[in-house]
Amino acid sequence: MKAFRGRRGVAVAELDPEERAVVARIVADVGLLLGGEVFGMEDAAWASETPEDLLEYLTNLEAHLAEPDDPAILRLLPNAAPTDREVADEFRRYTEPDLRALKVARLRRLWSQLSEDGPRWEVARDDAMETAAALTDVRLVLASRLAVETDADAERLHAEVGLAQEAAADGIDPDRERIWLGMLYEALTWLQDSLVAFVMGEEGEDE
Amino acid sequence: MSTDPATGGSTSVANRLDDAWVTIVWNDPVNLMSYVTHVFQSHFGWTRAKAERKMREVHEQGRSVVSTGGREHMEVDVEAMHGYGLWATMQRSGE
Repeated sequence: MKAFRGRRGVAVAELDPEERAVVARIVADVGLLLGGEVFGMEDAAWASETPEDLLEYLTNLEAHLAEPDDPAILRLLPNAAPTDREVADEFRRYTEPDLRALKVARLRRLWSQLSEDGPRWEVARDDAMETAAALTDVRLVLASRLAVETDADAERLHAEVGLAQEAAADGIDPDRERIWLGMLYEALTWLQDSLVAFVMGEEGEDE
Repeated sequence: MSTDPATGGSTSVANRLDDAWVTIVWNDPVNLMSYVTHVFQSHFGWTRAKAERKMREVHEQGRSVVSTGGREHMEVDVEAMHGYGLWATMQRSGE
């Protein structure tokens, strides 16, 4: 995996086919969580080519996401007025359909980018912020699953992921699902960070 | 915007109350500092310096008031922030 770098005004990252398949799958999952339809018909085709053990963890995640009152939904569509139930309910009634549609459409475009052939993932300058926003939504869902609620939780996760290999070498079996989802979360963080750096760099040059 | 028929004749007080809402963005562990800065720049039209200052306020103090005004205006700002995945709320000023 290579982070985004500007090339002639376009942000370009590189993902191998397995990385692409995993990222595309979680993107599609978050789309489903938000009430979108299944993204594309190619799902079955690439799923059969992806090692089962890699996708096992996402299957568990999907089962969790299907639960009612999923806290991940509240990360994507938070309560707008915790101190005033009436204002919060009215806000949700008027804005939630549009917000869901916006997020699903953005995830679908991201999924399409990832479903193209070849290792390069290209994002035009004008599409970069919507891609970054879609990555935020995916990271919010992963963070909810990983119980990352404070900055300290995020630091702990980062340390756990870093120590996982050492732990395995010492014969300690870490929580593999948590480590795997944590690695995915950190990879998406790294990709988003590089994409936003590209956007801000482009604007810096305009000034 | 709601109008109280009983005070329909003198709306100046009602308008002042209507204007007394704030949008607050809260710190969360997921959103990147650079991303939040850029969201503030694009939605509020702030300079990078002002956007960074408000982002730091969110990060270091846990929250920052990013806009004030009528309730409907605040709803637009909160919806935009939620669109970007930021944790934003609205409330009457002084609550």
